[in-house]
Amino acid sequence: MNADLQGWGVWLALSAACVGTYVCRAAGVKLSGHIHQDSEVFRWLSAVTYAMVAALTVRMILLPLGLLATVPVWLRVVICALSLGVMVSSPQRRLVPALLTGTLLMLAYGVFRANP
Amino acid sequence: MTQNRFANRREAFWRGIRDAMGAPVLVLFAGMVGFGAMGRTHGFDAWMTGLTSLLMFALPGQVVMLEMFISGSSLLAIGFAVTLTSTRFVTMVVTLFPQLHRRDRNPLLYLWVHMLAMTAWAVSMREFPRMRPQHRLNYFIGLALPCWLISPMGTVLGYFVAGWVPTPVTLGLVFINPLFFLLTFTDVKPWGNRLAIGLGCVLGPLFFILDADSSLLLTGLVGGSAAYLVDRRWLRPRPVEVQA
Repeated sequence: MNADLQGWGVWLALSAACVGTYVCRAAGVKLSGHIHQDSEVFRWLSAVTYAMVAALTVRMILLPLGLLATVPVWLRVVICALSLGVMVSSPQRRLVPALLTGTLLMLAYGVFRANP
Repeated sequence: MTQNRFANRREAFWRGIRDAMGAPVLVLFAGMVGFGAMGRTHGFDAWMTGLTSLLMFALPGQVVMLEMFISGSSLLAIGFAVTLTSTRFVTMVVTLFPQLHRRDRNPLLYLWVHMLAMTAWAVSMREFPRMRPQHRLNYFIGLALPCWLISPMGTVLGYFVAGWVPTPVTLGLVFINPLFFLLTFTDVKPWGNRLAIGLGCVLGPLFFILDADSSLLLTGLVGGSAAYLVDRRWLRPRPVEVQA
């Protein structure tokens, strides 16, 4: 009985989450029909979106959930700074080298932590 | 301006596929492997974890859902929190789709919009100005489709390998997602949007401490509006109307 309830709950939560997420996407399509690329509303909404996305990114780096939270915050910031350095060191695309820098440094820290 | 980058829509589609096959697919795959591992360690079943990635396809919302479910929140609270986390999609779509050709702005967009996530959005925002409007939808589909399809695969893989992959590897995989978004910010051009990113980085954690659920929306509205006003008042160089 309890397990059943648990099972039901999971699927209901999933459905609610899916519907909520899709409604947001659909609302965007609906609203976008009335907005022009050159309008002031468009510029304002771009700024709002970038601020939101930036907040989300910073939250994932500074206040993460789970495994990443076990890494000292200063180390997360330093690795981000180094990756950003690789990224902006060339005006061309350095995205993959920068991603590798960050990921491998994080991996190296993990190895170091396991065998100091 | 490289306005004639593609001869036709098919070429734009394949270019989108090719652009997806680097960092975007890598990032989503890694992020979803991390999510799959999380689903396993939290005790969910493989079906449900994989379906979440296929049907929701919004990593932050997915994580919020798992965390809240574990902590025993009510269904109403879960639905509300996830929807709040996903409000960014409203403005992401509103800033991306008006750049499409008038002919492509039809009800089919309700289908394509499901494949929109932060990754494809960031890349499209960067690439759209460099191509003709009539090629943009096909480019977007080429870019977003592999990103969407790889996600449930990554999730299920992460679910099954969780436990025997060494922790350092998982650590690297979990980190790749926020790092990607951070790096794409360096490509953002207009000063108003750059300022918005800066304000978002500063205000985000502050609002998060005040109220976690609504912090994204609040940060967006406060930081974004402030950046817009500063840009309009002081930064905007000249009123040039660029007709793409």
